[in-house]
Formats: sequence, structure tokens, C-alpha cells
Amino acid sequence: MNNPIALESKKKNHHTSKNPEPRFFENKVNCKLPYGIARWAWVILLVPATLIVYGEEDASSSDTKAITFISKYCLDCHSPPKPKAKLDLSRFKTLKSISAEPMHWDRILQILRDGEMPPDDHELLPSPEEQEEFIFRIEETLLESACGDGISPGPAMLRRLNKSEYSASIRDLLDIHFEAGQALPSDGAGGEGFDNAAETLFISPIHAEKYLDAARTALQYAFADTRSHKRFLIARPTDSTSPEEAANRILKEFLPRAFRRPTTHQEIGQYLDLFNLVYIQDPSFIEAMKLTFEAVLVSPNFLFIAEVPNPEPEPRLLEDHELAVRLSYFLWGTGPDKELMRMADQHRLNEYQTLTTQVLRMLDKKNAAKTRNFSQNFVEQWLGTRALGREFKPDQSMKEYDSELEGGMKYEPVFFFNEILAEDRSLLDLLDSDYTYVNRRLARHYGIEGEFREQPKRVELKPESRRGGLLGMSSVLAVSSLPHRTSPVLRGKWILETLLGDPPPPPPPNVPELEESEDPDTPQTLREKLEKHRLNPTCASCHDRIDPLGFGLENYDVLGRWRDEQAGKPIDARGTLPGGMTFNGPNELKEMLLERKDQFVRHLTRKMLGYALARGLTNEDYCTVNRIVEDLKENDYHSHKLVLGIVHSVPFRYKAGRNTDGLESSVKSEFENLDDD
Amino acid sequence: MIKQTRPISRRTLLKGAGAALSLPWLEAMMPTSSRASGKTERPTRLAVLFMPNGVREDEWTPEGEGTEFKLSPTLEPLQDLKNDILVLTNLWNQASNYGDGHYVKTSGFLTCATINKSLGFDLNSNGISMDQMAAAHTAGKTPLPSLELAIDPVSIGVDTNVGYTRVYGSHIAWSHPTRPLARETNPRLVFERLFRAGNPNRDEAQRDKLLLDRVLKDAGQLRKRVGASDRSRLDDYLESVRSLERRVELASRNSKQDWSPQADMPPELKPAGIPSEHAEHVRLMLDMIALAFQTDTTRVCTFMMGNAVSNKNFSFLDGVEGGHHSLSHHQSKSESLRQYQLIARWHIQQYAYLLNKLKGFQEEDGNILDHSMVLFGSGLRDGNKHSPRNLPIVLGGGAGGRIKGGRHMVYQKNTPLSNLYRPMLNAFGSPVEQFADSTEELPGILS
Repeated sequence: MNNPIALESKKKNHHTSKNPEPRFFENKVNCKLPYGIARWAWVILLVPATLIVYGEEDASSSDTKAITFISKYCLDCHSPPKPKAKLDLSRFKTLKSISAEPMHWDRILQILRDGEMPPDDHELLPSPEEQEEFIFRIEETLLESACGDGISPGPAMLRRLNKSEYSASIRDLLDIHFEAGQALPSDGAGGEGFDNAAETLFISPIHAEKYLDAARTALQYAFADTRSHKRFLIARPTDSTSPEEAANRILKEFLPRAFRRPTTHQEIGQYLDLFNLVYIQDPSFIEAMKLTFEAVLVSPNFLFIAEVPNPEPEPRLLEDHELAVRLSYFLWGTGPDKELMRMADQHRLNEYQTLTTQVLRMLDKKNAAKTRNFSQNFVEQWLGTRALGREFKPDQSMKEYDSELEGGMKYEPVFFFNEILAEDRSLLDLLDSDYTYVNRRLARHYGIEGEFREQPKRVELKPESRRGGLLGMSSVLAVSSLPHRTSPVLRGKWILETLLGDPPPPPPPNVPELEESEDPDTPQTLREKLEKHRLNPTCASCHDRIDPLGFGLENYDVLGRWRDEQAGKPIDARGTLPGGMTFNGPNELKEMLLERKDQFVRHLTRKMLGYALARGLTNEDYCTVNRIVEDLKENDYHSHKLVLGIVHSVPFRYKAGRNTDGLESSVKSEFENLDDD
Repeated sequence: MIKQTRPISRRTLLKGAGAALSLPWLEAMMPTSSRASGKTERPTRLAVLFMPNGVREDEWTPEGEGTEFKLSPTLEPLQDLKNDILVLTNLWNQASNYGDGHYVKTSGFLTCATINKSLGFDLNSNGISMDQMAAAHTAGKTPLPSLELAIDPVSIGVDTNVGYTRVYGSHIAWSHPTRPLARETNPRLVFERLFRAGNPNRDEAQRDKLLLDRVLKDAGQLRKRVGASDRSRLDDYLESVRSLERRVELASRNSKQDWSPQADMPPELKPAGIPSEHAEHVRLMLDMIALAFQTDTTRVCTFMMGNAVSNKNFSFLDGVEGGHHSLSHHQSKSESLRQYQLIARWHIQQYAYLLNKLKGFQEEDGNILDHSMVLFGSGLRDGNKHSPRNLPIVLGGGAGGRIKGGRHMVYQKNTPLSNLYRPMLNAFGSPVEQFADSTEELPGILS
């Protein structure tokens, strides 16, 4: 029983005999799995409608039709030697080769749906029916291939806590108001762009030293705080209690909380040994206890999220405590609380209904302080607003930029997003809304009247406020500007990349950025200069998509204040996109984006799933993303559907099987149960 | 009853953790010579100052060559230090001539290797940086093997436009191809770290050994449980804890270093934190490098004065308006070029400040600069072209009499940058047969 891996390797399937003494590493049977699956099955039922249409055609005929479309309408530009946008479509000669790259084709389809491609001036253009049929066929191919064989989850997670998770975990563990991780080095981002990605949470020689120092400082703080140390120093040596007994009681309570799982007698014993060794040298109970706690906080059992690898070939459910940990670092950015631990102890967390209830409890307003960790980490990195005061500092000539304004700007999207989560609002509020959060300085900045303080407060927006949604937020408008002026190119790029998940490719080598063409000798407006540059077809192929979006936001200055004119000239906020769609000003731009809401929601889903899984998504995750998006479409884009869709997904609840042949196995059971539904 | 357990030595623990645990990289690299010989050696120091975004090319290269040369407008702040520097022309970093315009050029600056194109999953620099080769050599001789400093925190996010994680643009020091070294950005924390490292408390050290022993055992136990592919992460942590343990052991033995520094850490020099002004921030970090060398707390230091693609607003300079990266895309416009040059010149001023500072610290025979190598450079030449040819490189300091300054060395076009790192490592006392794509030891550096 001491070696959980050996124990598990004997088990097949997901069943095991009952053990009178359940331990952490045991696999708990999840009897409710089929029930859970039945609840999700209807989502999948949406798919087969398309399958039927083409289901009877043989593969070669489907192949021919699709490939003919590509060669007829795409290959003129997208083939060697110099494929445009570095996209070589000539290598796709069968539907199978297309389905091998679902994420890639997902983007291509989007460009087709938006009517951006083929370009209007292409010699041959497909009829609308032809194009629709092609899109349909590829969609079907992708879905069939991604979902047909079941979903492959990623491997067991092993990563250290990042800086903000570390701080929050210590804060909750010791019940102190102290930023313990402030002196840790900053973390880089990987995967979907977040600093919780296992792959980029490196460990340098400096880390151990920093962790020890941080633990020492935090514990000094906690031991000096009577309120806090009552929380964990639950025993003291007395006439009837030996120091060792007292330490034992304290460790029994503390260690499972610190390690976020039940601990063994052996583990408690090891820390008790440390206590004793220190106590012998210097018989001060408090000092010995403190050093023991320091060791706990520098132990990799605290610093790492370490899921036990799955020794079996087939994917399996996470252990209950592993699921609790994934959940709490996803939605709270900190360790599990008592209730989550209790649910995990009772092996109930993998039950569909329990899991749902717990997620809703976690998102509830009562836990707003904790969900704000999530909102802040997710939103600031997704939107790039973490750059405020760091990579982005406005020019010194903008005197009004002070720390209170920066704070207001920084927290507006965080509080806003937190409300969307807590109140189960529509995710489309992110594109447009009639409320936002401002502090005193930001309210003045926006010209909003009322009583405000330094802390952000909710405010209802009047139609004439010119705010609402992310694009009205000064933080977003600032980080997509240059320090001294606005940049339609950067803002356009921001919209494509951040909201639509469609980043334009980098400019070809040795081509200067369009932006920097300010020459004081030629009296042109920026718009005129950019329009002139777009006469160059190489530049136009991307900037036709980028620049107009940014011009739609020209009424906002670098810091996001409204302006009707600039340098004596009225602002021209018109834009025309490839495909002919035109708009004028931010409101119409937002309407246009709302028409592309599914693309936005799909991108947001990818981002959040990547954040929740703390890794980059792979082709294997395509099906999961697709299902969640379909579910959101059917449910008015309510935020809880997104979170629940992620939490209930196979990649979130399972870990991959042992990888022996280089092929990951997948969870097929969900489809096997389809007939029963 | 108190249960006594026999402390298990680290050696035993590692043996128990399985033969798969490879020797930590740094130790494997370390030559056995110098320390064992017991000879007192005069330490050589190595610092690298990295500047992002390149230089204005027509105002960088000096006129003339050899000892007869005139500093360019950009290098003019080094006039008083002319005899302490080598300006090196026509070096290039071929391995970084791929991929994108910045990330490859930054991460590969000191490795001369091509990074994997990656958003994180298979991040790999495919090399070890020159400074870490040197640090491996001094490990154990000074409290800290090396010091990694920066102005900007690790840049946010991944760059989906070009397909690289911004981690690449934030690191030049790699102790292992998959392990970029974390940098310290807060001068106060640097000071505290130097102070702690240089002034260990023996009583604390005894207790810390017990604590670290527990932590190492936990790491060893956990290591056995995790999957094979994840073991390297725990190995990194084990190595991190062990390097701390080595320091603690050193402190508890109270052993003498092989060379005693002449200066103590003056507590009154402790910075308050990160200053809001960029110029002051840079100055304080340079002060910390000087302090680290002066107190011999470490002999190796890299300092990123900005991350790749930094668009730091330099409007605090007279005549400059706008961000560094934006201005580096000058499009040959005179106004942009003028400002771009002012920014590079400012960086050279900072470099001169450090050289002067080191020159001002007297040691028994000469000053610290005489016993140092301070490299200044950027991973690309012209920011408008992103080309790693004819890189802007200056090498300052005498390397303990091995380098004679006051020269402008003009090499054949496309001479590998890696050729320079060989004589540098040689002068540092850690010679290598080969460095990345080097073809020979760059001639004319060592005398």
C-alpha cells in the first residue's frame, strides 16, 4: 500500500475493490459517470445533423470536392514557392490531412465565413452555395475526426505554483494579509499566454533561496499576529501535553492543508522528527515550530501541484483531491478551502451534481475576493492590461496619469469580469454592456457623475456615456496605444488577436512598421498615410483587416478619454473591412463584433480552457472547445455555462493514460453511451 | 517519547532517488583544477550588459582601426575609457539569423544557438550561455555562482504573431538548454541577496541545514512518484535547494574563500526599491554589479537593460519622444534615426558609468576593471533590419592583464560571435575547446 503507483498499476478500468481505509492515492470509483455523460450527450447530438448530409458519400468523392475547391479558389496565392501569409494549402490533398490540423483549419474556416477570403478581386469566386458546402464539409470532417474517437486528456500535471498563486496560498493557509511572494522572480507565460503554464514555470537556483526567505518572512508575520497564529498553533505544551504531542497535533491539522491532500502518518512523523531535532538544540517550542513550518512551506509538496501519473494505458479520472486542487487554482487562484477538501475527502467531487454545486458555490458573490484572483490573473493576461505601469507607461506629457487613475484603469476589467462570473451574466457583455466599474479618478476621466472612492464601484452606464464593454475601457485603449499617441494598427491588431483569436502574421522581414511613418515634413494625417501604404498589395493583404478596426476607436485618446477632434480636425472613425462591411465609430464597431460573437466566444473558450488546464491547447482539445461553444450558443452565452463546460470536460477531469506507443488514448465512454440517451 | 531518526545524508538520499538523477549540470561542467591546487588566484570577473533593439549603424562603428581609431558619436561617452575597451567589428551570430526579429537574437545572444520555435511546450535554447560556462567554473568559490539582473519583469504572454513565448525575449542567461535563469529586477532585493550571501549567520546555518535536509528528502520522495518526463522539473528544484545547501554548508564551516574581498557590504547603500525613473533604476542595478564584484559575492553577472522588443519610453532624454522599439523601426527617416542614436548613446553612457565605477575600486595590484571583462552588446545591429550581422559589441576591462584595450578590431565579415566567447572564457580561467559554432579562438583579443 505504500507505493500507490504499484497499487494502481494492478487495476484495470476505473474500478477497484473497496478499501476500508481510503487513502489519497487510491482510485475512487466514479459510479455517477454514466449519469454525467448522459447530461452532456445532447450537446453531441447537435453534430450528427451535418453528418447525415454527407455521410453516404464515399471518402474519395468528398476528398475530390473539397480539394477541388481549394485548388480552384486558394492555390493561386497559397502555394509554393511564396505562399501568401505563409499559408501553403497545396499540402492538403485529402480530408484526412485537413482533419490532422483542426486548430489550423478552424482559423481558415473563420476567414472564409467572414468573407475575407477568397479576396473580391480573385479571378474565380465560389458561389455562396459552393462556399457554404465547402465550409460545411470541412467542419464536419474536423468534428468527426476530433470527437469521433473520444477525447484525449493531457497528462497528469506537475508544476510549481506561480508567484500570485504562491502569495494567495500562503495568505489563505496562514490567514494573514501579507503578500508573501512579492520578492519572488516574475514568471513568464507559455501555452495560451498565461503564467500558470507548467512548461514555462522554470526553477532557477535563486528560487529555493527566495522561497525560504519568503516563508520566513510570512511566518514571522503570522507568528506575531495573535489572530492568525490561533488559527494554526492549535496546541501548546502544558503539564499534561509534551512539546512533541503538541507539535504532533499542530502538524496533523496543518500539513494536509499545506499539502492540499490527506497526509500519511509517515509524513507527519518526518516533520515531527524535524521539530524534535530543532527542539533538542534549542528548547523553544515556538522557534522549533516555526522552523518546522518553514520547511513545510519550502517543501515541493507545498510549492508544486503534483498529480500522480496514471500508470494505466487508458485515461482515468483525477483523484478527488487532485480535482479539488485543479478547481481551486482555476477559479480562486489559491488552495482548496475546507468545503472542497471535505467533498474530496468524501470522494464526492467527481459526481456531476456535486461538482456543479461546488463550482457555483465557488463563483458566488460571497467568494468574490477569491474569484477576483482568477479574474485578475485571467483578464490581465488575456487583455494584456497587466502591462499598465510596466511595459506601458504613457508619455510624461500626460500629467493626469497618476497612481489612482492607473489603479482605476487596471481594476475596471477585473471587477467587471468578476461580476460577469458571479452573476452568471452573458459573456457578450464583454463586447458591450450598460454597466462598468470605476473609482473616483476613473469616473472623472470618463465624465461619469456620482460619489466614488478609490475602490472601484459599479456604475450603470447611460447610452450617451460612450462606454460599455471592453472596448470602452481605458486600460484596453491604453495598452494598445503608443506612449505618445494612439495607433490604429496596434488597436486593430489588439482586436484581431485578443477578441477574435485571429492574430495577423508579422510583417515580412525588412519591411518597416507602417506605424512609424510620421514625417513632419509631409502634412498628412495618420489615416492618409496608412491608406497610402495600403496601396501596396503586400501590406494591404493584412492591413486591410487591421487598420479599419483601429480607426473605429480613434475617438478615444491614448488614455481612453473621448475626443471629437484632434489637432483641430474632426476625428474620422469610419472603417471598411474586406468583404465590404462598414462602420463608423465605436458603437458600430461593437455591433460588428457582436455579429462575430461566435468567433469571439470560441476564442474566449480556448483561452479559458488553456488557463484552466494550465497548458497550451492541442488538436486533441478541439472537440472540447467545440462542444462548449455549442452549449454556450444554446444558452445565451451565460458565463456559468463556460466555466461548467470546462470543469466538466474530459481534459479537466481526466489525466492521460501512460504513453507507451506515442499515441495517447482517449476517453471513449462518452460516445459509447450515446445510444442509451 | 522523542523518536530519533538518523539524519540521512544527501548523498544517500540521491542514491536512493535512483541512478537516473544525473549529476547537476554545473558540477559536471566544473573543472577540477584551480580550487584543488590551493593556489591563491586573483579573480577575474565577467559582466554582460545587454541592450535591446540594436543601434543606428552609421553612427556606431569607429573610424580607423587598431590603436588608431576615433570613437563614433554613439561610442563617444567612452572617450576617457578608450584605453580600457576593445570595439569589435564584423562579428555575427549566425545561429540567430532565423525565426523572428527579436526573440532568437536575444535568447541566443550568449549561447550562439538557435532556439526552438515554441509558445512554451518544447522551449529550448539549444545551448548554454557563455556566462554560465564561466559561472560553472567559479561555483563554490564565491557565495553566489552568478547574478542575473534585469530592468523589466518577464514580458507578459506569448507572441502569437510570430509563435514564440516572450520568455525567450526576457532571458540571455541559460544554465541548461531548457532552463533560463530568473532575473532580479529590484535593486533592494539584489542588495539584500548579496548581503545575506556574504554575511551568513552560523547558528542559523546549522538549523537551516536540518530544514533543507527535510526539503531535499521530500523532493526525493516526490521525484519517485512523478512521471519520467516531469522529473527534470524536480531535479531543477533539487538543484536549487542543493545550491542553497552548499552555501549554508560553506557558512557553517566558516571556511575561508580562496580570495578575500577587500570590501564589505555597506548597509547604508541599500536601495529603497525600484525607482520610478528608468535612468535611476539602471544606475542602481549597475551599482549592485559593482558592489557584487567589489565584495566578491559573485564573479559573473548578466544584466538586461531591457527585454527584447522593449518599447520603453525614452522621452526623459532631451530630444527623444517615444518608445525604444518604435524608434528602432526608423525607416531611414532622419528624425527617427537621430532619436534612435540618442537612445543607444545613453546606453553607452551607462556602460561607461559601470566601467568607471569598477576602475575606481582599487585592489592590491590595479583596480577591479583591470581584473574584469565587461561586455556590452545587442543581439541585432540595425533595428530596422533585425540582422544579426556586424553586431554592436564592446569589450571592456583588462581581464587580469590578459586583454590590452584601446583598439578597434575589424574582423573579416561574418566572423562568428562565438569565436569571441572562447578567449573570454579562456581569460576567465575556464577555457573551452569549442563554443557553439565557433571556428577558432578570436585572434587579437588576448595578449
